[in-house]
Amino acid sequence: MSLDKKSTFLYTDEQLIGRFQAGDERAYVELVNRYKDRLFNFVFPFFGDVEQSEDVVQDTMLRLYEKKHYYKEIAKFSTWIYTIARNLANTELRKRKRRKTTYLSQMSKEDRQYDIPAVQDDVDQDLQNEFMRNRINLAIDALPEHFKTVIILRDIQELSYDDISNIVEVPLGTIKSRINRARLQLQAELQDLK
Amino acid sequence: MNRYQFEDLISEYIENELSLSKRKKFEAYLEEHPDSAQLVNAIKDNIVRLNQMQALKTSGSFNEHLLEKIENPRFNIDKDQVRSMIFGLTPGYATLMMGFVATFIFISLQLLMPDVDTQIMKKVHLTDNDIPANTNPSINHNIIEDQDMVHTIDDSVRADSTIRLKKDFSKKMQFVND
Repeated sequence: MSLDKKSTFLYTDEQLIGRFQAGDERAYVELVNRYKDRLFNFVFPFFGDVEQSEDVVQDTMLRLYEKKHYYKEIAKFSTWIYTIARNLANTELRKRKRRKTTYLSQMSKEDRQYDIPAVQDDVDQDLQNEFMRNRINLAIDALPEHFKTVIILRDIQELSYDDISNIVEVPLGTIKSRINRARLQLQAELQDLK
Repeated sequence: MNRYQFEDLISEYIENELSLSKRKKFEAYLEEHPDSAQLVNAIKDNIVRLNQMQALKTSGSFNEHLLEKIENPRFNIDKDQVRSMIFGLTPGYATLMMGFVATFIFISLQLLMPDVDTQIMKKVHLTDNDIPANTNPSINHNIIEDQDMVHTIDDSVRADSTIRLKKDFSKKMQFVND
């Protein structure tokens, strides 16, 4: 089996998992390519560490490979895989607390120094964007975990309220209320940002 | 509308989920309280920033590492186990479910179908004086009620045999000599 990035399936996620359950491993490859970055962006704010976040996403994909037959078409595939990622992330976070280790937050994935060239038109804009990103990440990191989860899923991942309710396993009304409070608290953290 | 009610409705207002009447009240509150209007605009801006945040990407070697894990026997991914699912259940769970189903069927039969032996007992004609103390409960239901039947306590009655005593007419019938 090769993980070829050039797979071009026009199938839905549910069709792909069905094909994978039937034995088509190319469908698994396509699902990995579709979801690895999304899941990475979901778990990264909880760890602030690139390597650990990738490990959690890899474990999620391994779980998908091992337990593909556990998926039933009752729920959306995205809900199922996000739930797996969330559970694995929570397990890892609990281990971290028990070990009482901390990781240096890496706010930028790229571990490079900025070399400001002599001539570059949009250098100010790049720096401004980087600053904004760091500021927002710090504000998200300061939120309680249940607020952080829903704000990432809704405002960054842009999932529907129903999907979020299924992933977090909390009633829809509670999710709406939680997102509202999370946005208010996030604004309190970012009130100096213009 | 007070401050708490206003804050509870901010997300619904931004996402256009308020009813017309509530929306009017909300907007009236915004006009009366400029700081509240600033708060709503700031939250809108934050949502836009979050939506536009450049998505992080996994490393270029992500797929390669994943493949190594799948192929590596150390990670104990039992491909044979994946293939040996029974109706979507692992063999262990399938056995357990079969046990539950069998138990359920057994209990249902016990509850729904009365004991066959009880039915047989009701068909056998017995007077009060003739109820034997150790009546064999396995008497076949094909026993024909017969007033002339000799009552015996016979433990050797076969359950699958039709018991029919031959009537002895020799003492009752007498041939008249011509």
